[in-house]
Amino acid sequence: MLDLIREFSPGLAILLTNPQFAFIQLLNSISQGMNLFIIAAGLSLIFGVLKVINFAHGVFYMFGAYVVHTVFMDWGAPFWVGAIASALALGVIAAIIERTLFRQIYEAEHLMQLLLTFAIVLIMGDLAKVIWGTEQYSVSYPASLKGATDLGITFYPSYRLMLCVIGPLILIALYWFAERTRWGRMTKAATQDREMLAALGINVPLIYTSVFILGSALAGFGGALAAPFSSPVPGMDATLIVECFVIVIVGGLGSLWGTFVGALLYGLVFNFGSVIYPNGQDVFAYLLLLVVLLIRPWGLYGKPEAGGH
Amino acid sequence: MTSPLSKTGMAACLIVLILCALTPLLQSDYLIDVVTEILIVALFALSLNIIIGYSGNVSFGHAAYFAIGGYVNAILLTTYGWPLLPSAVAGVFAATLTAAVVAYFCTRLTDIYFAMLTLAFSMLVWAILFKWRSLTNGDDGFTPVHVPAVIDDRTAFFYFTMIVIVISIAVLWVITHSAFGRSLVAVRENVGRAGFVGIHTRRMRWQAFVIAGFFAGVAGVLFGMYHRGMYVESAFWTQSAQVLIMTLLGGIYSFFGPLIGAAVLFMLERLTNEYTEYWPTVLGSILLIILLFQPDGLVGLGKRIKNKFGGGGSP
Amino acid sequence: MKRILAGAVALAAIGAGSAALAQDIKIGVLYPTSGGGAIYGGPAMVGHNLAVDEINAAGGINGRKLVTVARDSKLNPAAAASAAKEMVTKDGVDVLMGGLSSAVGLAISEVAKQEGVVYLATIPKTIQMTTSKLHPHVFRTSSNTDFEGDAMAQLIKKIGGKKVCDIQLDYAYGHDLSDGLKSALKRHAPDVEVVLDLRPKLRATDYNVFITQIMGAGCDVVTSGLWGSHFVDFAQQASPFGLFNNIKAYISGGEVASHEIAGKMGDDYPPNVISNTYELWYHAVSPNHKVFQEKISEKSGTKETAMWPVLSYTGVKFYAEAVMKSGGTKSDGIIKALEGMTIDTPVGPRTINADDHQANTGQFWGPMVDKDGFSYKVMDPVTYIPAEIK
Repeated sequence: MLDLIREFSPGLAILLTNPQFAFIQLLNSISQGMNLFIIAAGLSLIFGVLKVINFAHGVFYMFGAYVVHTVFMDWGAPFWVGAIASALALGVIAAIIERTLFRQIYEAEHLMQLLLTFAIVLIMGDLAKVIWGTEQYSVSYPASLKGATDLGITFYPSYRLMLCVIGPLILIALYWFAERTRWGRMTKAATQDREMLAALGINVPLIYTSVFILGSALAGFGGALAAPFSSPVPGMDATLIVECFVIVIVGGLGSLWGTFVGALLYGLVFNFGSVIYPNGQDVFAYLLLLVVLLIRPWGLYGKPEAGGH
Repeated sequence: MTSPLSKTGMAACLIVLILCALTPLLQSDYLIDVVTEILIVALFALSLNIIIGYSGNVSFGHAAYFAIGGYVNAILLTTYGWPLLPSAVAGVFAATLTAAVVAYFCTRLTDIYFAMLTLAFSMLVWAILFKWRSLTNGDDGFTPVHVPAVIDDRTAFFYFTMIVIVISIAVLWVITHSAFGRSLVAVRENVGRAGFVGIHTRRMRWQAFVIAGFFAGVAGVLFGMYHRGMYVESAFWTQSAQVLIMTLLGGIYSFFGPLIGAAVLFMLERLTNEYTEYWPTVLGSILLIILLFQPDGLVGLGKRIKNKFGGGGSP
Repeated sequence: MKRILAGAVALAAIGAGSAALAQDIKIGVLYPTSGGGAIYGGPAMVGHNLAVDEINAAGGINGRKLVTVARDSKLNPAAAASAAKEMVTKDGVDVLMGGLSSAVGLAISEVAKQEGVVYLATIPKTIQMTTSKLHPHVFRTSSNTDFEGDAMAQLIKKIGGKKVCDIQLDYAYGHDLSDGLKSALKRHAPDVEVVLDLRPKLRATDYNVFITQIMGAGCDVVTSGLWGSHFVDFAQQASPFGLFNNIKAYISGGEVASHEIAGKMGDDYPPNVISNTYELWYHAVSPNHKVFQEKISEKSGTKETAMWPVLSYTGVKFYAEAVMKSGGTKSDGIIKALEGMTIDTPVGPRTINADDHQANTGQFWGPMVDKDGFSYKVMDPVTYIPAEIK
């Protein structure tokens, strides 16, 4: 029986016979998923409240990776200072973009919004080239997380274990923000009925800005976290934005929990899929998207009106 | 937008047609190349607008049908030695069939979910073209393409392209100005109301998608022969984004808008590339300006200018 | 009277100007200067411009100056093909040079064939260009995947590797290199076994799946063609697993021994890596080479120069020699002149084979080690492995 499996898929055979290997793939899936979750959560948040699909989320991620390189590698600050700097930098950039450009398009059709964000992608992409040039960069691991940790069953890179921990922490933090704070209640209200909220004297534009800042800061932070193993390079936004889209659509636009599940699902499908059927690496993401959308057209945790006019 | 062509409109079309046909007389290889390429990309953009401007959906994956048309035709011509007509027809048929299948699934959804599904399908097409190396040569590109002797000459190919494109545009014109076309616009404007009036909105959107796929396939067939090669990049989502921008730039609310957008963007990119590598910034800035100040594109801008100077006339 | 005089002077000036222009030799060059390829395109233009400047300073070729028409190839083959065609039909270039990726190279090659203009491929390595897609107008002065694979097989034999894990990017270059390596192994070391074939997708960012498979496969040599950011990411992800410490060597094509990579990675550059490069700023094979390096350094504004300039420089030199030899820029004459031509390049003499239009361009190979006086790994010892398949 095993030989039959081995003929069809050597990877699957190894998975079934080597628990250590399977466990490592599980950790790979989770750590990759968590890094993507942090970034995708920002995208989902922005859509959930602002109803804008931010194509530029990918370049925000790229900027985050470049900024942490500058702060951590060039200026010599500690890694975590660099990561926070990435988040702050993107927050500032987001605030500027939101005030000047996004304000104009909240009422516009989705097509217009998408293309506006695409214009930002084009411009910021060139901006990154002007600021950081086109050389190959590399970001080291922070000294405390270099190397591997002994988990008993196997060794596993410490940095990736950190990702497995920090992902859920951010999920909890975002959840707390959304459910337990006044700000969270206001953003929920703004999603449902912004006119009423404005009538009540709440500064709705400020809420919108703050949401956009938070979402973009998450992208920057995610980019900084990814930088040690995904080096800053021009064009890195293109691959990432598609992965993000797949995750938030699969999870359901605007649902935080959906994004978390979507990201985990993505990690699992990609990692285990690559082992079982290496030829399919290019398409796993799209197959996942297809299968989910055909069964549940609004994503796993999405709501039917979320995407409509 | 569905109004019949006015006398001046018809005259303008005729003049453009004649000027176009006279291009080879200028003895410039470069000019013939440019006009050929513009014709092809204009049809590509016009076909996309059947989905966007005429049925109100956004497709992120239109490049797939363009690429399929091009590849099937190229492979049949070169690897299997088919004659031109059956090969081209097969290419267009393959593109149309794919569009029909994809649209069946996509039209179940709307808006962003529709768009994402079109993207997913088109990336699957890309992946197949990329991985099926024995058939398509993968990312090395399928070249050279054996172009039949009768159109192997630069001028001959130009006229061939021109005839095919002009006929295609004429057909599209007829379709969009028929009752079917008007129903499509109704669907775009208000899906709910259109449904109430008895329009089978989902079926109409499917039909629009298939028509769009058909003509994208035609454009692709010509593209592959012109370049004597098909490349997987033509199926990647960035290609779909590029044609989307052309369509929007020209104006999705008019028939000829995408054609103008395609021509302008094409020339603009060529010219910009001669002087700077920062074409993305130029394009991004243009997009911003259009989106913030002139959402109905160059055609809308043209109308505004005409009203300012022409005086009177309808807004 | 004044007006007539002025008019005459103007006419004379125009006449003189256009006469000068008509005599110039126009080189159409296509390197990616935007997007992901700009890492390579920028330095390539430096080398190209140096060659053009040197030749013009020496009076040009038979009095005719070299003029460069440059376009961004953008890593998109259709765009590169259109740009190449435009340069021939609109700008009237006499020759095409450059290219980076395999697909772009093949696209330009096709245009060259159609338009009857010679194309000197200075960077693309795909073997098809000089085999299945060969035609009279295409020449290649860079190395190719067969030479690269051959060198790697020789190195495996030298260090006594027995079991190989091969990890290559799943696209043309990776496939070609893998094929080249495997046929070379049959020639040099037939008892070596390739126990694992891994193909991560192009633009992959997560290699953990592959790293863990390599760790479990029991190989003592890992061969690879992962280049640029692929290598950086792979190395960063593999290091915590200790991959590089558990093998005899990680032998890589894709020029990851170049300073562009080693310099940026610093201490993060893994141990036990043997790789290749076209040029090392700290290693000169001759006094002429040193002079060349200094000139490039001056033009680039840094001592630690990239490896690409020597390739584009060599391309221009070959062409200039061909124009000189054939007495003009007509393509047929250039083709005849280039076939079998030998010239002196900064890294030694190079000859273009008359049959397959491929220059015998080998590369420098060697282990990357720590060395006093450098804050990054350098190649030591540096060995030039010639491009000959025995």
